[in-house]
Amino acid sequence: MRTLKYIGRRLLVLVPQLFLISIVTFTLVRMLPGDPARLELGPLAPEEGVELLRHQLRLDEPLPQQYIAYLQRLLQGDFGRSWVNSSSVAQDLLVRAPATLELITAGMLIVLVIMVPIALLSASPSRGWLARATRRVSFGYGLLAGALPDFWLGLVLIFVFFSVLGWAPGPEGRLAILDLPPARVTGFYVVDALLAGNFDTFESALSHLALPAVTLAFVYGGPIFKMVRASMEAALRSDYTIYAEGLGLPRRTVLLWAMRNAAPPAVVVTGVVAGYLLGGAVLIETVFNLNGIGRYAVQSITTADYAPIQGFVLVAAVFTVMVNLIVDLLQFMIDPRVSARAS
Amino acid sequence: MWSRLSRFDRAVLVVFVLILIIAAIGPFVAPYPPTVADPLQRLVSPNGAHPFGTDENGIDVLSRLIAAPRTDVLIAVIATTLSVAIGAPLGVVAGYFEGADRRAMRWISEGTLRLLDVIQAFPVFILAMVLVAIHGTGPVNVVFAVAFVNFPVFLRLVRSEMLSLREHLYAEAAVALGNSELGVGFKHLLPNAWPTVLVQVSVTIGFAVLLTAGLSFVGAGVSPPTPELGAMIASGAKFMITGQWWVAMFPGLLLGLIVFTFAAMGDIVGKLMEPGQRAIPSRRLLSNARIAPAAQAEAAAPSAQDAVLSVRGLAIEASGRPPILDGVSFDLMPGEILGVVGLPGSGKSILVRAILRLLGHGLQRRAGHVFFRGKDLAELDEKTLRAIRGCEILPLLPNAKSQLNPLVRVGDLMVAHIRAHNRCSRREAHARAARMLGAIGIGDAEHWLAAYPHELSGGMAQRVCLAIALVHRPPLIIADEPTAGLDVTVQRQVLDLMIELCHQSGAAQVLATRELGIVAHYCHRVAVLDEGLIVEMGSVRDVLLAPRHAVTRRLIAAADLRAVSTAPTTNTSSKMVP
Repeated sequence: MRTLKYIGRRLLVLVPQLFLISIVTFTLVRMLPGDPARLELGPLAPEEGVELLRHQLRLDEPLPQQYIAYLQRLLQGDFGRSWVNSSSVAQDLLVRAPATLELITAGMLIVLVIMVPIALLSASPSRGWLARATRRVSFGYGLLAGALPDFWLGLVLIFVFFSVLGWAPGPEGRLAILDLPPARVTGFYVVDALLAGNFDTFESALSHLALPAVTLAFVYGGPIFKMVRASMEAALRSDYTIYAEGLGLPRRTVLLWAMRNAAPPAVVVTGVVAGYLLGGAVLIETVFNLNGIGRYAVQSITTADYAPIQGFVLVAAVFTVMVNLIVDLLQFMIDPRVSARAS
Repeated sequence: MWSRLSRFDRAVLVVFVLILIIAAIGPFVAPYPPTVADPLQRLVSPNGAHPFGTDENGIDVLSRLIAAPRTDVLIAVIATTLSVAIGAPLGVVAGYFEGADRRAMRWISEGTLRLLDVIQAFPVFILAMVLVAIHGTGPVNVVFAVAFVNFPVFLRLVRSEMLSLREHLYAEAAVALGNSELGVGFKHLLPNAWPTVLVQVSVTIGFAVLLTAGLSFVGAGVSPPTPELGAMIASGAKFMITGQWWVAMFPGLLLGLIVFTFAAMGDIVGKLMEPGQRAIPSRRLLSNARIAPAAQAEAAAPSAQDAVLSVRGLAIEASGRPPILDGVSFDLMPGEILGVVGLPGSGKSILVRAILRLLGHGLQRRAGHVFFRGKDLAELDEKTLRAIRGCEILPLLPNAKSQLNPLVRVGDLMVAHIRAHNRCSRREAHARAARMLGAIGIGDAEHWLAAYPHELSGGMAQRVCLAIALVHRPPLIIADEPTAGLDVTVQRQVLDLMIELCHQSGAAQVLATRELGIVAHYCHRVAVLDEGLIVEMGSVRDVLLAPRHAVTRRLIAAADLRAVSTAPTTNTSSKMVP
């Protein structure tokens, strides 16, 4: 009951936030010099066409009506058209979104499966070789993470693993040029190939995903790594851990209970990072030629194609807000103190 | 100041100064002109004349590297300054509005923050790209874009600083003197927020350098031929694949170094601004020789027959520094209650933790032994120690609420503790925990077992700890200020309960406290601890009626001043002597 109430209240905040986002994206295009209809159709379109679109988009009416018309179009899933590809932006985004989501998911998986355990181990004060080794790793990583630009790291990985060692494919996209994409189920090539039982495609998709995912994990996993490590250290040093040790509880229990306390801040940071990535990993997509929505946006900016940018900014902002919502709900579920305060 | 820095910090500082110098004079000291193409020298690999090789235009990479930081660092510094200039005043106003009495003003502030949430939800990079795209590429537009993207950071930071600073007395005093609140915010509070802001500035400059380089990398920032790191990496990108790695590799390394140095400088600035950050705990022994011989002799003595606990010549030190405890020795007979008193910082808590072998980070036993029933605790392996701790030796620690893991239900803790030392099912353990809570007078045990620690009052939490301490009927309880953080009436209840139950089960107890009243009322013997040494020890009556040491006299005087909380000192433990 309390949970439902909290979710309800949290969703209520979402509504004005979404409105704000739509207002910002609406004004974003208004801020551009020139006529929005002209911007959407491109410099080559004939004047009659622009005139027609201006009327269709109700741009000849006052601003409030224009905004309402914009909202109506959004609700119908109409994000405008790209004049460069002359395609529907909504369609373009839908086709490209899986590539971006696959990259983010793979990167976050690497963070959670490899980096978080290392961070947890390196937080332990034990003198064993494993703890010492992980402490070294985490010190070195702490220096590098956050300082190295993702686009450069991607290039270095390409140089080392493709040009020199030849272990990984070059930056040719999500599959080798001759591979056919698997039948679309989830849009994630790795998953779809497995579902289709096509192991060659699976291998190809996985190997194409490896370097970008590692780049993303290395660069954007930094805050998560540091937060997990810091909060685990704090939990292990805290009174309740010392008390639990003093009660002779099994080592496993002591560690697991300390981890419970390290979880909430780690979840928050993971959420913030994940929310940032849809709009933040655009350069990784560019470097590896992944046909995701980030690269789509970057290309659109260089060709002054504004409908796709408007669409992308909207989608990225909504994505971030949604991830924040999920984080808040998770927080509510993990930490009884938050739920107590919230109700 | 220099001496307070570690070797690593000094290195960072040196690199930081170097970067600033290169940013200032770089273009004038480059060995080759950084913008003049030489088609004959295209893509020369690193050699004597060009240690970092040349790029696709035949320009020396090293020269471009030396010239480039000027662009990146300058843009980042100006943009960050601009975002502080916009963000900080807005932050003061937001903080002012938030603390205001009028509802409408609080709403405005709340609304501003939600607006910022939304602004920050937008993809930073694309937003900057759009801003640059609107006004065309070029350094000035990059500055505006980067500043716009970063100003919310400073707004939030200054706002939260305002909220905590305005609680301070001097802020209230300034307002009371008739200054306007907003004026106080700018004149008195903002300067106090600068240290925090400065740390963030350093980090943000690093981030701004990355953003500038990223924008230039995709062609939306500074464009060639101006030497700029991101654009240099972009021009070298295609050669990474074909093997001419030096074109893009070195700019990236330099970029990483710059960003890292600015971030690390933030840490150093923070460290230097925190007063007394590296101060060594002041209270120390004058010389070890003073007590060393006696301690040695005592350490060698065997533990008394049938003592539950024998401490012999125990010395604890924080690595490399003078000992915190030295030559501490005493015996504890079954059922006996030994009070350990001393001023705050005399080493009581360390003694308690040393007996439990829970010293934690940075502290170690330098000499001496702790015998529990004739066994040297230091020599037990991990498993045996775990079996004894929590079953035969029980801790009772100050501020019980912070001893309970906030995310573990009381019942889960009690069940885990019971099952750690007894083979039984979860259900049996649960029933036993409920009985134990009942036994110490907590009604509705099931309700409290299902509760999280934040739902407990301090007194209730300490009672739960007491139940935990007694459930295995241990021969020894080690209590450290068990009533700290409780109000006076509850203190009394908890202590009475504790002593009565210990008496019933025949548990011996070490009771560390700073209040002589408690000792007088509940203990058999007392040891006075001062600067890590036991300066006086004996029966409570002897010590309290005829104190020999100055510290004891001070404690007695203090107890007399506050004799409200406990019985007068003359009532020497008559109640508890068996």
